Amino acid sequence: MNYTLSSLIFLPLLAAFVVLLLPTRMQRGIKAVTLGGTLLQLAVAIWVYLGFDGTKAASGQAGYQFVEKLDWIGFSLGSLGRFQIEYFVGVDGLSIGMVLLTGIVGVIGVISSWNITKNVKGYCALYLLLMTSVMGCFLALDFFLFYLFFEFMLLPMYFLIGMWGGPKREYAALKFFIYTLVGSLFILIVMIGLYTSVIDPEATAQQMGLIGQNVPASLDMVRQVQQMLQQGTIAEADLVRTFSIPAMMEPANFIPGSLLHVFSGITLFDLPLRFVAFLLVLAGFLIKVPSVPVHTWLPDAHVEAPTPISVLLAAILLKVGGYGLIRIVYPVFPDAGAYFSTLVGGLGVLSIIYGALCALAMNDLKKLIAYSSVSHMGFVLLGVASLTNEGVNGAIYMMFSHGLISAMLFLVVGVIYDRAHDRMILNFRGLAKRMPAYTAFVVVAFFASLGLPGFSGFIAELLVLLGSFSAPEATGMLPRWMAIVAVIGLLLSAAYYLWALQRMFFGKYWIFPELREKAIISDLTKREYLMLLPLAVLAFIFGIFPHLLLDKTGMTVTGFTDLVLRNGQEQLNILQAILNR
Amino acid sequence: MEEQAAYLTQAIDSILAGAGSLLPELLLALFFLLLVTLDLFKSKTVKRLLPWVALTGLFSVLVLSVLDRHVAEVQFLNLLRSDGIARYAGILFSLTGIFTILLSLQNPKIDKRKQGEGRGEYYGLILVLVLGLNLMAKSVNLLMVFLAIELVSIASYILTLTLKEEKRAVEAGLKYVLYGTLSAGVMLYGMSFFYGLTGSLDYTLVSFWRSLLEASPLMVTVAAILVFAGFLFKISAAPFHFWTPDVYQGAPMPIVALFSTGPKMAGIIIILRFVAAFADPTIANAFSDVLLFLGIAALATLAVGNFTALWQRTPRRLMAFSSVSHAGFLMLALLAFGSDYTVSVLFYMTVLVFMNFGMFLFLQMAEENWQVRTLEDFRGMGHRIPFACIMALLFLLSLTGLPPLAGFMGKLLVFSNVWEAYTANGQAMLLVLLVVGILLTGVALFYYIKIPYYLFLKRNQTAENLVISLSNKLLLVFFAGPLLVFFFKPDLLLHWIEKLLA
Repeated sequence: MNYTLSSLIFLPLLAAFVVLLLPTRMQRGIKAVTLGGTLLQLAVAIWVYLGFDGTKAASGQAGYQFVEKLDWIGFSLGSLGRFQIEYFVGVDGLSIGMVLLTGIVGVIGVISSWNITKNVKGYCALYLLLMTSVMGCFLALDFFLFYLFFEFMLLPMYFLIGMWGGPKREYAALKFFIYTLVGSLFILIVMIGLYTSVIDPEATAQQMGLIGQNVPASLDMVRQVQQMLQQGTIAEADLVRTFSIPAMMEPANFIPGSLLHVFSGITLFDLPLRFVAFLLVLAGFLIKVPSVPVHTWLPDAHVEAPTPISVLLAAILLKVGGYGLIRIVYPVFPDAGAYFSTLVGGLGVLSIIYGALCALAMNDLKKLIAYSSVSHMGFVLLGVASLTNEGVNGAIYMMFSHGLISAMLFLVVGVIYDRAHDRMILNFRGLAKRMPAYTAFVVVAFFASLGLPGFSGFIAELLVLLGSFSAPEATGMLPRWMAIVAVIGLLLSAAYYLWALQRMFFGKYWIFPELREKAIISDLTKREYLMLLPLAVLAFIFGIFPHLLLDKTGMTVTGFTDLVLRNGQEQLNILQAILNR
Repeated sequence: MEEQAAYLTQAIDSILAGAGSLLPELLLALFFLLLVTLDLFKSKTVKRLLPWVALTGLFSVLVLSVLDRHVAEVQFLNLLRSDGIARYAGILFSLTGIFTILLSLQNPKIDKRKQGEGRGEYYGLILVLVLGLNLMAKSVNLLMVFLAIELVSIASYILTLTLKEEKRAVEAGLKYVLYGTLSAGVMLYGMSFFYGLTGSLDYTLVSFWRSLLEASPLMVTVAAILVFAGFLFKISAAPFHFWTPDVYQGAPMPIVALFSTGPKMAGIIIILRFVAAFADPTIANAFSDVLLFLGIAALATLAVGNFTALWQRTPRRLMAFSSVSHAGFLMLALLAFGSDYTVSVLFYMTVLVFMNFGMFLFLQMAEENWQVRTLEDFRGMGHRIPFACIMALLFLLSLTGLPPLAGFMGKLLVFSNVWEAYTANGQAMLLVLLVVGILLTGVALFYYIKIPYYLFLKRNQTAENLVISLSNKLLLVFFAGPLLVFFFKPDLLLHWIEKLLA
């Protein structure tokens, strides 16, 4: 077994330990170690990206590459069998883009943190912890492991916003923490329900003595165990319950009589329990995405967070929500996914339009960008809900592209805030005169974000819209009007960006009189070039050569949509038959 | 005459047969007598030795129960049963006793004041309390339960009053005694009902409950509720929790830590034995009212504990309601019939011991060394003394139940049991309890996070560094370590518990 992915996850943690050992005075040393840690992580991420074979057909566990699987916690429940938690990580087309993105943004974030002076040691340690948990989240294939990393993201983030943030930082940090914790508690309920319902056929075969310990089970053996399970011929004490997500994706692994089994027939509020579970996990991840109406923590958190943390938040933390949908929610509950596609798509469209309208109304540039994130993440929901290849590929592409572009946007806001200690749109005019290079980057960032052809955002939006347009025929999901309304969102995003651009950057140079004393309006420094240029170039490259990512995701996404549609329709029929009885 | 003699030999035989299982209790009693005797000496060196004598006693009991290879269940005169549960609980009680003494040694108030009088009585009473806890965990007879609870209670009343020159302590002690005696009386009344209905006091036998099937269900419900008044009082569950905040505010910190773990665990074990009969569906159906009462009490405990904690301004009162809410979680586990909940309960208790003692040690340091009285006083401490405050953060996160700390594992196991029980018997109450229990974790975060909020996010004008003693530092690490270990490798502990129970 190779330890590539483990090193990807734990390199920053190692760097964090080094940071803690360094004396507090060595601020530069601490920052250098942090940068080194994230650079190494990026290097491994690129290695994984290059080594990932996108042409391999993805079916079942064979679809994961760089897999590491170790027993972690195993415990016998007496007469009720065993449960097992594994250290199970791997990468597939759904996660490869996120892995690369995390590596890139992690490095950019450190460069942008270079002017942090307050309690550098604590800051860097928390930053590295955050990088470990985000990366772990994208790579985990065991639900428990995923949940561990998912929850552990909250804590460093809480302190990073709460200790290094703006004037209302305490409030924003607390709101962020409570919102996302409530979301993850919803997920916890379902996680408990799932692991008490699902067995690992391989481990069960080993427990029953059909094959020796540590012997991998053949496909036939797995089928046989699954068949025995569904016939109820396996003794209760031999069942090995598991947290493995791939195991949860196969309906044949659900224990008959367990509550989340398709045949369980238990309803809550007139919905099958599986639907309720779907809605719970969905809500948990939607808070993270965030989708309207549970998005209100995001503007607060963004406005109060220091620039690098805003970058991380927008570029990678939000992606965990969208990623959770395609990694867990849809594959595990395909029936409910098919049933509720209009709801999810509708929330997506609502986020697109509402987020854009809010952005239009904002006077604070950072808030504008925060709401534009809400709007763009709406496309992810729409794409996933369409369940077409184009739509899901587009959703993944949108997450990747939004990661690059939103990082750039928040950095751009940080630049003006560093100089003027203010970022109200109306307090500035004609900045292009004084800061030409800066304005050039702003223009690139804004146009990339509003979906100008040639930048990655365009590809993403195009794919999502194609997917959702064709969805009514291709998959039977989503009413047609959704795609049409989503297009209006594109128009609105052009409106708020261009309007902001016109108000702040063009015309005669003027800044608000009270700001003049403190503000030193100068153009970009070398460090700022260093963080903005790579992002701009990447947004451009991925706009011109979309196959760089699509080649890697394509096969997995095809497998994903096939699985969700096939299992979804089958199980939906069963559920509806039970409901109508 | 001969019959009597035969009876006598028989009785003596059974006493001798069972006496071996009472070795820990005998040892504790012996060390208590030793302490009281030593306390008579006026010499300062002897006085200084007293806590160490008590520690030796507890430690030898601990070693004895860990190493004990006796697996079979031993019954002593139908009064006490030494089984796996009692044995594991005994280990936990010895640990709490040891931790209490370690905390007391770090407490300047107890240590200074006790240089002269009362030192022997303080440490002696801790031993008595642990002895009582052991008896509680072993009791299988209502009368014995009553005696054990009273033994614990009386020791508790006096220990609350340790710092009797403080007004708060006196108030707390008085309230505790009043509530305590009242609930004891009510409990005794209920027990007499049971005796009248069944003619037996051995409540762990299924036959006890079988004979109750013939009685009027209303009578049984009333009797059970009366008896539960006493049990719930001991675990500070709603609606018998009113003494908790006052006592937590008045008693010395090590004693508070002891109250938040020892008697609570022992009470839970008594309830565990009491409701074990409900695993039998006929009994559960016949006395569903009793179950309903317990379910409502658990729900009320969770709600009262978590929501009232939101309004607290002092760390002691906050921890008081936190301990109420943990009682609620443990009660939740006890209702999960049809699942293997005993292991989870014992695991949860173990974790509770470490996180509560850790947190109370931190609070004791904050109170004695840094004059922290209210939550606001924690302002900016995290910047002045990062190490201790990070440790406090770990304890608080574990209390909330967030990964990667053992508190999360405890809750996960309990919730899993409830889910399995719901799968098995489909009682809607269980689902309600599960959902409410999980969502209240979110509320819990809201109040627990207040302490780190003041520690790290708020700032203080004075920036001078604070120091803590090495022994305190080591103790903090000692309490925090297991919380991480039991998260990452809970099976170590779970396997051990399971082996003891088998």
